[in-house]
Amino acid sequence: MKNEDDDIVICRCEEITLSEIKRAIKEGGALDVTGIKRRTRAGMGLCQGRTCEKLVQQILKEQLGKKAEKIGSSTSRPPVRPVTFGTLGGK
Amino acid sequence: MKSYDAVVIGGGVIGTSVAYYLSKKGIRVALVEKGDIASGTASRSDGNIKISDKRPGIETKMAYESQLLFKELANEISYNFDYTQRGSLCIIENEEELKVAQEYVKKQAEDGYPMRMMDKSEIHNDEPYLAEDIIGGIEIDCDASVNPMALVFGLSLGAKKNGVEVFDYTPIKDIRLDKKGAVEAVITDEEKLITKYVVNCAGVWAPEIGNMVGINIPIIPEQGQLLIAEKTFQVVEFGRLMTKFGDKNYKRNVSPELEELGIGFVFEPTQANNFLIGSSHTFVGFDTHVSIEVMRGLAKRAIRFLPIMKNINIIRAHAGLRPYIQDHMPIISKVDEVPGFYVAAGHGAKGICLSQFTGKIISQMIAGEETIMPNDILSINRFKRNETKKP
Repeated sequence: MKNEDDDIVICRCEEITLSEIKRAIKEGGALDVTGIKRRTRAGMGLCQGRTCEKLVQQILKEQLGKKAEKIGSSTSRPPVRPVTFGTLGGK
Repeated sequence: MKSYDAVVIGGGVIGTSVAYYLSKKGIRVALVEKGDIASGTASRSDGNIKISDKRPGIETKMAYESQLLFKELANEISYNFDYTQRGSLCIIENEEELKVAQEYVKKQAEDGYPMRMMDKSEIHNDEPYLAEDIIGGIEIDCDASVNPMALVFGLSLGAKKNGVEVFDYTPIKDIRLDKKGAVEAVITDEEKLITKYVVNCAGVWAPEIGNMVGINIPIIPEQGQLLIAEKTFQVVEFGRLMTKFGDKNYKRNVSPELEELGIGFVFEPTQANNFLIGSSHTFVGFDTHVSIEVMRGLAKRAIRFLPIMKNINIIRAHAGLRPYIQDHMPIISKVDEVPGFYVAAGHGAKGICLSQFTGKIISQMIAGEETIMPNDILSINRFKRNETKKP
């Protein structure tokens, strides 16, 4: 059933809504944060999930109930903050 | 106890493609994956569907057949996997390369593929950000790209709609053979899946599955890293893919460090308006950590060809494992010693590209139909005479 709140944007960088995340769980079979990320792009943008990861974890807990055993977190990978090609590669 | 015609092992791009094409023929399939769908190599790949890095002949033919099938697939399944055919551009930096490239293009054009040379003024006219010293390029109209993860989820859902039963988070314990040594059942923690056919699509993990039936599969993991850039303006015109021309017929003009890390140049715009930069080739076992040396090498190589990129941000780097085979050809083959056992693995860096071809040809082999092309060269029997050496 469609809920008004479903249009709320959860991942601001990639503009992913609550309903898209719910669908990734219900229809896509996602069980963890990386599963949501691969199915929806939530957490793949400029901030790399710093803003939305906690929300995504909460949605997973709500939706999965008892199945929410290993919702985990996104894998930390470099760079910690965006860095230019020039800084990394040398100008 | 459940019973199927075929059990496909591996929920990556090859396994989901094989399951999908088998299901289209009405074959009853179980797809078994030890973790989540698209959680291995497929989630750490670029999405290039290109013939421009393929050797003339059979390798190009496989990629081209796949391109045609991708076009069909995009209309066939409802899931959007960001298929776009915008063509690609292959850049040339010196006279020696130009000669090799001209011969390559001549051969490919003779074989009927849409490829042509671009001279210096044309390429710089099209690509204002390209390094000034680039002397020409190749334009390839048929090249395309996809979002590899979306592709795998789309294939998996498409297969489910066709009746495939998907067992995710289900590691395989054993494969049982009957008295004659033919495939009988696949054993998981909770289930016994009775089947006549098993297709091993486990990529870098395919040798483990091979061991369960006593066969040697000469695949080793090769690490490849990618840099992901922020959303930004269109660096390459028309949203085309850009790669550096390469051929084993001449030695590349790169520093020893770049040579050692196997750093190449692939620029792939995505539908999300950012882009991926590759590629690297190192042998570090099953390690998927990124290394700063490789990241630096990739950034350096990108700036070499597109200097404007020095001001663009990198938001992420990741590393994946490619199923490497020494002769750079996949194994798409039945196994004579174990009737009913098939291998579709070892696609190296071409798994996404060749996935549709692979799914199609395996489904034809199992259905006992004539295959879209002769497949002797892809047979696992090619390793019997001289065992593949590790690099």
